[in-house]
Formats: sequence, structure tokens, C-alpha cells
Amino acid sequence: MKQRHIGLAYLSPYILGLLVFTMIPFGASLYLSFTDYNLMQSPNWTGLANYWELFTTDRTFRRSLLVTLTYVFLTVPLKLAFALFIAYILNHKLRGINLFRTAFYVPSILGGSIAIAVLWRYIFAEQGIVNMALLGLGLEPVNWFGDPTNALITITLLRCWQFGSAMVIFLAALQSIDKSLYEAAACDGAKPWHSFVFITIPLITPVIFFNLIMQMVQGFQEFNGPYIITQGGPLKSTYLLPLYIYDEAFKKFNMGYASAIAWVLFLIIMVLTLVAFWSSKKWVYYAGDKR
Amino acid sequence: MKHLMLTTATLMALTTMARADDLRMSWWGGDARHVATQEALKQCGTKYGHTIAAEFTGFDGYLEKLTTQMAGGTEADIIQVNWPWLPLFSKDGTGFADLRSLTAIDLSQWTEEQLTAASMNGVLQGLPVSTTGRVFFFNKTAFEKAGLAIPTTWDELMAAGGKMGDGAQPFNAVKETAQLIITLSVVQKTGKDLVDPATNRVAWTAEELAAGFEFYNQLVETGTILSAKDEAAAGGVNLFEKPEWADGRIAGSYEWDSTYAKYADPMAEGQELVPVEMLTFADAKTKGVYRKPSMVFSVSKNSKNPEAAAQIVNCLLNEEEGIAALGDSRGLPASKVAAEWLATNGKVDPMVKAANDIAMAADGPVISPFNEHPEIRGLFLDTLEEYAYGMIDAPTAAQVVIDGANATLAKFD
Repeated sequence: MKQRHIGLAYLSPYILGLLVFTMIPFGASLYLSFTDYNLMQSPNWTGLANYWELFTTDRTFRRSLLVTLTYVFLTVPLKLAFALFIAYILNHKLRGINLFRTAFYVPSILGGSIAIAVLWRYIFAEQGIVNMALLGLGLEPVNWFGDPTNALITITLLRCWQFGSAMVIFLAALQSIDKSLYEAAACDGAKPWHSFVFITIPLITPVIFFNLIMQMVQGFQEFNGPYIITQGGPLKSTYLLPLYIYDEAFKKFNMGYASAIAWVLFLIIMVLTLVAFWSSKKWVYYAGDKR
Repeated sequence: MKHLMLTTATLMALTTMARADDLRMSWWGGDARHVATQEALKQCGTKYGHTIAAEFTGFDGYLEKLTTQMAGGTEADIIQVNWPWLPLFSKDGTGFADLRSLTAIDLSQWTEEQLTAASMNGVLQGLPVSTTGRVFFFNKTAFEKAGLAIPTTWDELMAAGGKMGDGAQPFNAVKETAQLIITLSVVQKTGKDLVDPATNRVAWTAEELAAGFEFYNQLVETGTILSAKDEAAAGGVNLFEKPEWADGRIAGSYEWDSTYAKYADPMAEGQELVPVEMLTFADAKTKGVYRKPSMVFSVSKNSKNPEAAAQIVNCLLNEEEGIAALGDSRGLPASKVAAEWLATNGKVDPMVKAANDIAMAADGPVISPFNEHPEIRGLFLDTLEEYAYGMIDAPTAAQVVIDGANATLAKFD
């Protein structure tokens, strides 16, 4: 009995933190999403009014939702493919490989920072280094921030550039694959490409699945990049839902409405995660799997 | 032993608390203002025996931070508040301490008109720090180099479009500045502010506002300003940080009079920035100056020591220690004694004075704080962007702004 109390005492900081910083705000935001709370006055219950407005009259929400989905469906596969590609290269025994592994991981540490977002703004500016390079190659400079399509590409590239954490996880998975499998395949005449598709990929599907879920959740929550680089523009082409939530909550003080958007975003993430879990039964293979 | 340890810990905690700052002050601004305000707080703190923690930042994000603090009741004791935010935080006059109830403040240094402008529901919620207005700044050197006279009318400005050489523009109008240019053009043509105070609804007709949008388009088409798309290509860099501004390839803008130094300081050597009279149309009904109390100092209603906060506020605005240290870091002071002291002691930048004189002398309707309400401003800017990108025409843009602004205004009926 006493030991159980000691265990609880050890757990209590975590439980308290979870309650105070996660569960209570989580519940509060659900309640506020059914109110007209504006920070300055007590909330009044408005039922489904916020949700009704979101789905019936709010053009900005529809636009922002579409942009967010486009952004996530662009960044997640691109980032995973790039991370796996680099991890595959770094899995080979090359001279100075540890230096390369560190160098490729660095953007992940820096990527979310404000300084990098500001740097990105200068790199892709009208007279930035990217356009200078294009000019050097005899190509026309591109209006990266002024054109709605290009602006989305710019912030997508920033996200893909931060592939380090996914890459490290892929690298660990690649290193855990039994080398004898490749040797056996080579003896049977398999080309490296065949080995990659029929041995590597199936054996790392649990890690691909893990990275997919993590990157998808993070993609839906992206804020710093578009906030600093494009402020959601032009024409709301980079106006991701977290930016919309922020503007409604802290610029227009519509905390109730912002909570409703946050809950819609949460539900979207949850549904897509459930779909991913459901689909994983068909393409993720674990050790001892009899399929 | 246990009691002894507890007593020692309590005493240590109390000692720490006694040493802690007893007041906090928050403000936004640039480097010059931060340095001046910290010095002023030091001087006033020493005079009255208070220690004041300084909480300062740039303008971006200040409103969001203040809003969160106000909602949580953790705002600083002394708060710099943008005048248009007063209705947001204190619609009924209870958002901040009633400054008329604090005895340490010498209210005779402001006119009743100034105090009324800083009151909500008849309760004095802030002390006007300065009165400011948007004025035109032009790069005299750039115009001389192009062989052109500095414009005095809109027609002259547009005539300079495409004639500055090296792909230079005679003028800048981005985001809020572009919105205020449209506002100015409509005010000059109609003589009316955006909001009719009698009805609390938009005073302009859709046709009048549509003409404002079309005027903006004219500025783009004549090469007077860059298009929104070309402006966005630069990555949203502030005007005063742009190399084109520093070297005169952007030769003018429409900015707050108090920000003269912010725009003049980064200019390359040999470039001279001058404030000029309001540009007008031939048929203008008014110069349409956008003049308002720039900011107020408020005292938190949650302050544990409001009289001490009032002492510091009074020192900053009405007493020599504060006046000398603050100088013109917030523009020319609204307080009579501060304005006199700075003038007598030659502490005002002559250019800031010249800009302020223009803003104060020009006529125009009384500006409603709702011009800068976040919802109305956000709507105006979003609609302007859609218009600038050719997504909607001027009449549609005007109708969207009027309908949206009226919907926001209706919440304040």
C-alpha cells in the first residue's frame, strides 16, 4: 500500500503537469468553442453557433482548410521521401560519414526557429540568393512571395528542409536490418533497387508509419514558417489553420470562435490518424508478422 | 529545528520579495524609445523610491501579449496603450484604473478635449502621451537627382511616377499605409471620416469608397507605387529596412510624424528626408489629416499600488526627470509642461517638430478609433489585397468593406 503511494508520488509531477497544462486547457477549449468568449468578458453559451458559422458562411475558414490540407499532403510525402533518401545514403560506409550525419541533422534543430524563418525570407526575396542563382543560370527570377502558388512552395520547402529528425529515425531503422538478407538477395541476382523495394521498405514500414503520423500531426500544427515568412499571404495562399486560430484568438479576441477552429483541426488530425492506423494493417509489417 | 528552518525560509522569501521590483511598466517601441524609457524609469524610480521592472518589445505582437495579460489580470502596473485599443479593453470604462481618482497625477497639463479622447464611458482610462498624425516624408535628394520638385499635390506625385530613373518609385504604399492612403483620398473628397459618430456606422457610400480603391490603382498604374504583387516579392521587409529606401529608390512615404527618425536614420549618407505639407486633390474638401492621440499611459485596475504607479506616470509625463529622459521618443508630448520644457531646452529634433506642426495644422474630421479596430483593419487589408491582385473590382471591394465594418460596428451599439 505504502509502495503504491510512493509510486503515485513519483508520478504526481507528470500527472499534475498533464492535468494543468494539457487536460484542463483541452476541456476548457471545448467548452469555449460553444461560447462567444472574447477574453475581456465572461463567456456566453452560444451552442453550435461557432461551428455553424465555420461551415456555412466563413469563406476564410474554407480557404484556410484547403491550404492546410494542400500543405500537409505536399510536405509529408516530400519530407519522408527526402529523409529516407538521405538516410539511405548516410547508411553507407563513407569517409567522414558522422560529419555528414550531423550536418544533415542540423536543419532540424534550427528549422523551427524564428531566425531560420527570417533567413528563408531573405533567401527567397526578390533579390535573394535563389533568384541570383536562377539569374546566374540564365533563368528568369521568380516572384516567390508575391505569387500565391510560389508562396506555398516556399514554406513547403522550409518544412522539407527540416528532415533531420525523420532521417535519424530512418537511419536507425536501416541499420537494424539484418545484412544477411541483402546478401541472400544478391546471391539470387537481386539488383540494389530490388533489394530496396522488396527488403528495405517492407522491413522499415513500422518506422515509415511512425514518421508519417508524427510528420502529419506536426504539419497540421505548422505556425512559425508561414507566420514569419508570408504572414499567411498573398491572398491567404499560406494561411494555415494555426495562423487563423491565432488571428481570431489574439488579434480579434474571438477566443470562442478560435477554440471551435482548433477543435475542427483536432478532429481532422484525429480522423486522419485513425485512417492511417486502419490502413496500417494492410501495409505495415512487424517482426513475427505471419503475412 | 523544523520551526527554525521554516522561519528562516520565510524570512528569506520575504527579504527576496522586499527586494523585488514593486512596479512594472510595459511599452512597445524602437531602440531609442527603449533606452529613453528605461532611463526615465530609473530617474523617476529614484525620485519616488520605487523600482520599476521594464517590459518592452516592438509593436508587432504587443497587442497580443497585452490582451493575454489583461485576460489573466497579470498586466503591468503602468501600460502603454495604443489609443484605438481603448474600446477593446475598456468599452465601458472599467478596463483600467480611473485616473481621475488617483491624486498623484496633475491633469491640468492636458486640455479637457484631450482627456475626453482618452476616456471611455466618461471614465479617464489613459493619459495622452502625444498627439500624432500621418504626414508625407519625401527624399529631397532623390527628387533633386531626378530633376523634379517635391510634390505638393496628388497629380504632381503621380506625374513623378516613372520619371525617377533607375526603376525608382516616388512613393511607398504597403499594407496599413496603403489602407490609410485610400482612407485619406476618400476623406479629402468627402470630408467625412470612415465612421459616422452619430450613427456608429460607415459614413462613406460604396461609390465614395470605390473611388478610393480606384485611386490606389491609379497610383500603381502610373508607376507611383509598386503593385502589391511586386511589393510582396521583397518578403514583407519593413520600409525603413529596405536598401531601396536607404538609397532613394523609394523616395517617399506617408508615416506617423513621430517616426521621422526611424525613417531618416537608415538613409545613406547624403540623402535628406523632409516632411512636407499634405498632398491634396484639386477638389478636396479637407486636407483630411489622420490625427489622433498616439498612445496613452494607463494604470492597471489590478495594480496593488495604483498611487505609486500614478506617481511614476506623472513623473514620466509632467516632471523634469521624466520629461528630460523621455525627450521626443514618443513624439512631441501632449502634456503642456513637457512640451514647454522640451521646446525651451532645445530637446526636440527640428524635423520631428516640423512634421508635428504639419500634422497639427492640417484640417480634417475627428478620427474614430474604429479605423484601427483589428477586425475592421484586417477586413480592409484583406479586401485591398484581393482588389490589388485583380480578384475583385472596386465597387465589390467597397461593398465588402462597408458591410464588414458595419457588422463590427454593430457589436458596439
